[in-house]
Amino acid sequence: MASVGGVVSRASRMRTKLQSALEAIVLEIEDVSHQHASHAAMKDSNAQETHFNVKIVSPKFHGQTLLKRHRMVYAALSDELHSGLHALSIVAKTPDEQSS
Amino acid sequence: MATLNHLSSVHISTSSLRPFAAPSSTNTPNLSLNSQAGPFSLFLPSISLKPHTKPKPRASVIVLAVKTLAETELIVVPEDSDQFAGQFPPETGVYAVFDSDGDLQFVGLSRNIAASVLSHRKSVPELCHSVKVGVVDEPDKTALTQAWKSWMEEHIKATGKVPPGNASGNTTWVRQAPKKKADLRLTPGRHVQLTLPMEELIDRLVKENKVVAFIKGSRSAPLCGFSQRVIGILESEGVDYESVDVLDDEHNFGLRETLKRYSNWPTFPQIFVGGELVGGCDILTSMNEKGELGSLFKK
Repeated sequence: MASVGGVVSRASRMRTKLQSALEAIVLEIEDVSHQHASHAAMKDSNAQETHFNVKIVSPKFHGQTLLKRHRMVYAALSDELHSGLHALSIVAKTPDEQSS
Repeated sequence: MATLNHLSSVHISTSSLRPFAAPSSTNTPNLSLNSQAGPFSLFLPSISLKPHTKPKPRASVIVLAVKTLAETELIVVPEDSDQFAGQFPPETGVYAVFDSDGDLQFVGLSRNIAASVLSHRKSVPELCHSVKVGVVDEPDKTALTQAWKSWMEEHIKATGKVPPGNASGNTTWVRQAPKKKADLRLTPGRHVQLTLPMEELIDRLVKENKVVAFIKGSRSAPLCGFSQRVIGILESEGVDYESVDVLDDEHNFGLRETLKRYSNWPTFPQIFVGGELVGGCDILTSMNEKGELGSLFKK
């Protein structure tokens, strides 16, 4: 679902940003905030859309270390990270790695 | 690490059995054996003592989370702790240790099988030749207990004996969970004024200590799954590391935001080796799976 109650969801904003910044061939975004709702740092907040799993396949990752790839993803999602996005599990592959 | 206290060779009573000591998280429930299934006891006289009886997988109506002991693959413990990586999972479950004659010495239960095996290898190498591992996928108290019991029963049925390491009074495998190193604190407390900016404190910390993990919570009680996994990996590698609790506002006030800027990395946990950011949980996990951690920590 792209929007919740007329407001664009974080997942959908993330998709737009990752798509344009990283020319993703494959992009899977999953909101897993509910899995983390009970741990200490989250207990006092009603925040939703805080933890996501992202799988992204992009030719731009070619020749980049894992660290660099993660940095590229974080850079694309900088606004989200400053507005309540707490954690990302990232799988970042090149098209070759994806098919091998 | 798994401990078994006061296991009598005739009767396993629920009240005195502690197959499980939690070395890590204090918020995991203590595993005690007063189970819903009722007292668990084995009476040796009823066990067949024919020496050549093959252990038959027991017919059970309970679906067990692990294969039988007999069906489980035996893994030889590498001599070199470098080759350890990837051999044993840093997961929760049961494990059985065999000596070089192939005799079962001990059946244990652990929240981190890799760390337990490594520790046994270090303390009793002559008894720790090979290991069978049974990872329990959804490790609630009952499932874990069932799995451990099933292996114990299977062995006792087959041999008529309790494994020596599980016998009453045996302290070879049983010991106090080694006291984990304390977390590093950046300041003595909020009441003390910082003379150096937080950024510089961080910089010195990562440069003066080979391996530093900035985590949520303490190493003995991590407060998030990613931090817990990182600690699990570091412990199973047996590497000497410093841990810093980014949620400790009393001793590490301002660390969270400053560290994000310092590393140019927006999330926790963060692992530094040799003064450089290696990455977060995903990256450490990936390196662990590829066996790259040995060389990383040797640098």
